[in-house]
Amino acid sequence: MLNIKNLEATIDNKQILNGLNLDIKPGEVHAIMGPNGSGKSTLANVLSGKNGYEIKGVIKYNGESLSELSTEERAQKGIFLAFQYPLEIPGVNTNTFLRTSLNSIRKAQGEKELDTLTFLKLIKKKASELGIDEKFLSRQLNVGFSGGEKKKNEILQMKLLQPKLSILDETDSGLDIDALRIVADGVNSYKNKDNAFLIITHYQRLLDYIKPDYVHVLSNGKIIKTGDSDLGIQLEKTGYSNIV
Amino acid sequence: MKQNYDFKINKIKNLSSEEINLRKKNLELFYQTGFPNKKDENWKFSDLNLILSNNFNKIINNDFLPSETEFKIIDDFEHNFISLLNGKLISKDFSYEEKDKISIDNFNHKNELSFDSKNSLYFLNNALATGGFSLEISKNYKLKKPLVIYNNFSNSLKETIVNHKNSIILNENSELNLINYINNSSKENFMVNTLENIKVKKDSLLKNILVNSSKCNGYFYKYITSDIKKNSTFENYLLPSGLKFNKLDIEINLNEENSNSSVFSALNLMNNEHQEIKTQINHNTPHCHSYQKVKNVLNGESKGVYQGKIFVKNIAQKTDAYQLSKALILNDKAEFDAKPELEIYADDVKCSHGSTSGSVDLNLIHYLKSRGIPEKKAFEMLINGFLSEVLERLSEGKIKNFLKEKLERQINGY
Repeated sequence: MLNIKNLEATIDNKQILNGLNLDIKPGEVHAIMGPNGSGKSTLANVLSGKNGYEIKGVIKYNGESLSELSTEERAQKGIFLAFQYPLEIPGVNTNTFLRTSLNSIRKAQGEKELDTLTFLKLIKKKASELGIDEKFLSRQLNVGFSGGEKKKNEILQMKLLQPKLSILDETDSGLDIDALRIVADGVNSYKNKDNAFLIITHYQRLLDYIKPDYVHVLSNGKIIKTGDSDLGIQLEKTGYSNIV
Repeated sequence: MKQNYDFKINKIKNLSSEEINLRKKNLELFYQTGFPNKKDENWKFSDLNLILSNNFNKIINNDFLPSETEFKIIDDFEHNFISLLNGKLISKDFSYEEKDKISIDNFNHKNELSFDSKNSLYFLNNALATGGFSLEISKNYKLKKPLVIYNNFSNSLKETIVNHKNSIILNENSELNLINYINNSSKENFMVNTLENIKVKKDSLLKNILVNSSKCNGYFYKYITSDIKKNSTFENYLLPSGLKFNKLDIEINLNEENSNSSVFSALNLMNNEHQEIKTQINHNTPHCHSYQKVKNVLNGESKGVYQGKIFVKNIAQKTDAYQLSKALILNDKAEFDAKPELEIYADDVKCSHGSTSGSVDLNLIHYLKSRGIPEKKAFEMLINGFLSEVLERLSEGKIKNFLKEKLERQINGY
């Protein structure tokens, strides 16, 4: 599904990614762990198509070169990034945002757009699955939401938009244990043989709930070690310093 | 630049010789300076003389009423209406209301000229005014439905100026939701010069909304002076995007205790549109509140101006005055000028003002795009969110929805 070869990324004359390689197949869950400043969020930004990065190397998504695609086209083709810091957008109603998003993707995929009523039914169902109060849906997008509410809102979007590749950028940060479990349940219930996850995290604790098939250690813009879920548990005990 | 005017008082019908003389005097006073230009501090960001020179070959006046009577009516909510054609009252309908509670008539130009001279447009108005209305709401009467004033302008107005005066009086304990609706889609250029006098007596509420039906090649100037009495409120919602030129010159006099006023404005300016909102809020007495929030989005080579002044008289203790201007500038060739002014002669007051301008936060655009929303739509959503905030306090649901839809159309360029 995703093949990254020798990826380099530079921003403001500073090279952050230094030849990163990664292959993700449908049905797989990959975790990327690493110390601060190792390039985790840069990888997420580059995959989502954020402007400002100078890119070298190859990123193929289902055989297509990702660098040719705009951010919105990537999303329309099934790439989803759950933001580390979801943005607050004053004046934009959450429901309106969600419906515009879903319909933009449906339209691009040649599907019929949903009318307001059908949409509202769908979103209420998805929200209740994640324990999100309906009232949030009529508020301004992320404005005044707590950290946990914002993160839950990201998972709600994931479940609504049904992406093929979901990138979760430190979705566990700022979550209490209950919220963490809800988020993990959201991911686990969505996981199937056709979609894949790239979970970026500092800590093992999210991986206690979402079991990864592969754990990669990112350091200095490169993957320096890959293992199975035991690697994450080991890292939690020994820290990064023994590996990096 | 010298303007090519052709103003003739003898085009106006049914004038007494006394009126003719008075009008001639006013026309002479106008000719002494011509249209206001940037040398006048109040016009320094909107050089009307230059703007008219660049867009009109000549400007004439007329007292001719065309036969066009078919105009598009708002069908989003039930309402009373007054219909004006080229500034003249042509029809009215108050069928939702009790009889004898509302008085509406042509403005009587023979009456005193109850406006202070602000600039040469005032003299021009006195010289050439032919239309307008006088509206009065009876004591203890709250209108059941809003009143829409249809300001229709005919296609025959090419290079013509319309001058008129209006008077609106709300007597004690009355309420009115007023929607000034500019109803014109003519491609012809014309000018409208309006002077309006508003009196809101004790315990009353006036909501004054300004919006237009579509893009319009009209050049508008409107001066509103208002006298707000005890426990009364005067609210303004200004959304006239799409006019070629518009200057609203609003003076609010908070003349008795516990009177309140607000000015909310949301403008999305495109191409070379130019709009100015100028306010003067006079806190003449203690315990009054004023609130202003002015939002502009500037595209293309458009220009937006906000000159907002708060004046607090020495006796006006416990004044609470707030003023905020926010602008989003989307093009290097667009311009926004803000001049906030506070003039305070009392020592126990709460006055604050702020002005910011900047571009759209591209991180927000990225967030929306990462959800599959095309870039153009993402910008529209952000602009809409930015502007529609000024409607938050408007409590009338149907009017609010109507204005929100208008705003969406304005952002899409109609």
